[in-house]
Amino acid sequence: MSGEVLLRATDVVKTFTSRGKKLGARNVATAVNGVSLEVRRGETLGIVGESGCGKSTLARCLVQLLPVTSGSVEFRGVELTGLSRRQLRPHRREMQLVFQDPYASLNPRRTVGDIVADPMRINKIGSDQEIGDRVRDLFVTVGLDPASIRRYPHEFSGGQRQRIGIARSLSLNPSLVVADEPVSALDVSVQAQVLNLMADLQESLQLTYLFIAHDLGVVRHVSDRVGVMYLGEIVELGDAEGIYGSPLHPYTEALLSVVPELNDTDAPRRERILITGDVPDPSARPDGCSFHPRCPVATDECRTLKPPLIELRPGRFVACHHPRNID
Amino acid sequence: MPDDPTSTEAVLSVRDLKVSFATRQGELRAVDGLSFDVGSKEVLGIVGESGSGKSVAMYSMLGLVRDSNVTISGSVKFEGREILGLGDKEMQSVRGGDVGMIFQDPMTALTPVYTVGWQIVEQIRAHTDLTKAQAKARAVELLGEVGIPNPQRRAGQFPHEFSGGMRQRVVIAMALSCNPRLLIADEPTTALDVTTQAQILDLMEKLQQSYGSSIVIITHDMGVIAEMADRVVVMYAGRPAEIGPELEVVRFPRHPYTWGLLGAVPRVDSKNTRLVTIPGVSVSPLDVPDGCAFAPRCEHRMAICDERPALLGDGEHVDACWLSDAQRVAIRSGSKTSGGRP
Amino acid sequence: MVSFIIRRLISAVLVLFAISVMVFLIFFATPGVDPAARIAGRSASPAVVAAVRASFGLNRPLPIRYLLMMEHLFIKRDLTSYVNPNTPVIPQILRAAPVTLSLVLGAALIWLLIGVLGGVVAAANRGKFIDPLIMFVGIAAVSVPAYWLGEVVNYFTQSRFHSSVFSWVPSSGYVSITTSPVQWALHLVFPWLTLAALYAGIYARVLRAELVNALNEDYVRTARAKGLSERRILVRHALRCSLVALVSLFGLDFGALIGGAALLTEVVMGLPGIGQLTYNALQSLDLPVIMGCVMYAAFFVVFANAVVDVLYALLDPRVRVA
Repeated sequence: MSGEVLLRATDVVKTFTSRGKKLGARNVATAVNGVSLEVRRGETLGIVGESGCGKSTLARCLVQLLPVTSGSVEFRGVELTGLSRRQLRPHRREMQLVFQDPYASLNPRRTVGDIVADPMRINKIGSDQEIGDRVRDLFVTVGLDPASIRRYPHEFSGGQRQRIGIARSLSLNPSLVVADEPVSALDVSVQAQVLNLMADLQESLQLTYLFIAHDLGVVRHVSDRVGVMYLGEIVELGDAEGIYGSPLHPYTEALLSVVPELNDTDAPRRERILITGDVPDPSARPDGCSFHPRCPVATDECRTLKPPLIELRPGRFVACHHPRNID
Repeated sequence: MPDDPTSTEAVLSVRDLKVSFATRQGELRAVDGLSFDVGSKEVLGIVGESGSGKSVAMYSMLGLVRDSNVTISGSVKFEGREILGLGDKEMQSVRGGDVGMIFQDPMTALTPVYTVGWQIVEQIRAHTDLTKAQAKARAVELLGEVGIPNPQRRAGQFPHEFSGGMRQRVVIAMALSCNPRLLIADEPTTALDVTTQAQILDLMEKLQQSYGSSIVIITHDMGVIAEMADRVVVMYAGRPAEIGPELEVVRFPRHPYTWGLLGAVPRVDSKNTRLVTIPGVSVSPLDVPDGCAFAPRCEHRMAICDERPALLGDGEHVDACWLSDAQRVAIRSGSKTSGGRP
Repeated sequence: MVSFIIRRLISAVLVLFAISVMVFLIFFATPGVDPAARIAGRSASPAVVAAVRASFGLNRPLPIRYLLMMEHLFIKRDLTSYVNPNTPVIPQILRAAPVTLSLVLGAALIWLLIGVLGGVVAAANRGKFIDPLIMFVGIAAVSVPAYWLGEVVNYFTQSRFHSSVFSWVPSSGYVSITTSPVQWALHLVFPWLTLAALYAGIYARVLRAELVNALNEDYVRTARAKGLSERRILVRHALRCSLVALVSLFGLDFGALIGGAALLTEVVMGLPGIGQLTYNALQSLDLPVIMGCVMYAAFFVVFANAVVDVLYALLDPRVRVA
């Protein structure tokens, strides 16, 4: 995987400020704390992490739905931060979002045909006739009956609604699709249908995916490369096989060890590494390594010195003073 | 299985449970003939997708489905005593006393305006003669047992001052407060992160050993079943599709729905190139076929599937499907992308 | 908590300032309206109007006039009426306020009692005959115009049955509680009931809706799973959590009524309260009295809202931290 870089984020920081308890006090929560990554054309980059790790905020920053506090986001070589809405528009078309909740992300008062056609109408692409044809094509593409374009979202099941969401995201022929937990609200059998559909679309339309999810199995299934996030930072980044086979960061290692497995073979179960406690408040970030208060192998160094994300092996990045599984 | 005479030993024994709701669109059959036993100190897993009736079944047998349009029939025996149709007063002593419950969303399961200690004391006082001070001491002790640091101080805090995982620990402490013989856990870790889920499952295993309760764990996640359960009930459209020991069901699944369910899960331990999918969507509980409920989505449907199959099999492992053993072997050896590997 | 109160006070002062400026501007800066001509009377000669303008200080710049009025109202406390030049404003308000307070406080107690009771009984009996009955009576009482209900009550208590059943009802008017507590209460019984009837229905309906929502909450399911009795679940869990909505509604209503919104009841029942005072002042465009009444009303609305916020914090621990 060394294709052309489609999206490059450098040191992206996003903070949220709220009013504190004391008069005039400000509470600054750093949701994304200096993330750098590249998404290459044609690949799927998976971002995995637990709730509150900043993965959704990062996705919104990358597609400029949220302004970044600092850092740079380049898309096809063009710096996006600081562009006006009008300047952003041609780039927005190329980056589309698929949301988590297929119930909440579709306007209940519009027909599904209109929902899919809207992005084309807003961007004034094609005549009504052409748009209508394209909507029917898209319905076929995502496995829906084109005869159903006059129906409303509530007439569809969760999986079908997610297909509608995908059809809408594809209507402008984007090169990058950012999918934020696209299957976490679905039952497993339906989830499998949607994941297979996304894989088929990637192949036939040469899409690039940034796939955000908390489910480690789903992320492994879809991703070529994976970034593991903890408390607003990427702690490990690399090819999916490598990360799942021999994780370098203690957090990744613990995370993988506690996923419930189907014991359908005689292979011994991975030993569970229980990490204690909860994720710290992003407005009270620990000194040194963010993970050190919960880390089973933390040392004094970890408590004071923040480990940078370094390329330990070709293509394998880790932010840890004591990486695992290196012989 | 339904005629299994070992039910005298069972803590919970359910026979032909049916739960239906009268709606404007007709009769909604949420649970349609469910039978199973939970043995002493056994962990039974009930797995199924949304709408499979797994939660409704457990709630209805404890009188927690409060809908004037509901009809519940069948038999539910708790330690040999019929509890279906008990009066309010008697049911209240079963709930929370003999049977503890843990719920899916710890963020909303506790009353927001009372301290967690108060809420545990309330339950203890409802079922025992302990004084306020004794109940308070017991509540603090329980909070310590479920791994909440500094329980004395934490007992005086409100639910919103706890994280999701910590709240689930509080709910568990509450469920255990009256030494129940049976614990019903409805998706206890679904709302939690995977590291927190591991902590909670670990805790439940430990407590089950020290308290000796039987557990019914309701979940959509086969992985949780594999970690926790001794036996599994796979439910589809309100009916049991397959019942058997956990290892048997996961390794040698018999019902086509179980094949799909296992094969559809993306794995962390191996990369399957393509997921097994079950075509179509779950059958509407308003319109469950008279025959096999899974037939409309089943790739191996036959003419006889218009009749409802009985739960049959050898010994403990039973399923409701018309396929013969030879047919199953042929189908399974032909498919590679499956969850279970026969 | 201290910073909360300080924030609250600052915003209260700002609100009062904004309202006073608005009332002042509506009165003096409305194009085509000459307050001096109004005060002087319809057929006054230009010379008289000019004299009035000078004596009331109406020829000075607007900001100065505003500041002068505020000085007289708040600092010297000797602001006098335009219409009756020798009547100071503040004593008028101080005379009227106890009447309104007596009326509203008593009525509030009654409507809270009936509203909470009605809401709880209706919610506990969902789907039974009594639930829609309570809700119907509630909406009927809300829909009745205050003056009509007041007149009907007066008709029955003061004339139709005054010689028989209601012979104990004194003629309408107000007797101070310091003069005779018994007479105070007797004079107010029917005004209380009239005003309470208008609000009890809404409260019962709002509380019922809140309770029905609360009864579908997860924590109620948990309470049932704990084996608590239905009564305890309803009162200790569902009702306790529903009170927050009722308190905010009550704060708004109470503030507004104390501020003069009980006008119709006061007029019909012959009670010389704030509502009547404001009404009369508006009739004669008596700005100092209007300004005084508006400031008084605004103060109570802001005050009631502050009390609501504090009650919120007491009722809902989640608010305490934020």
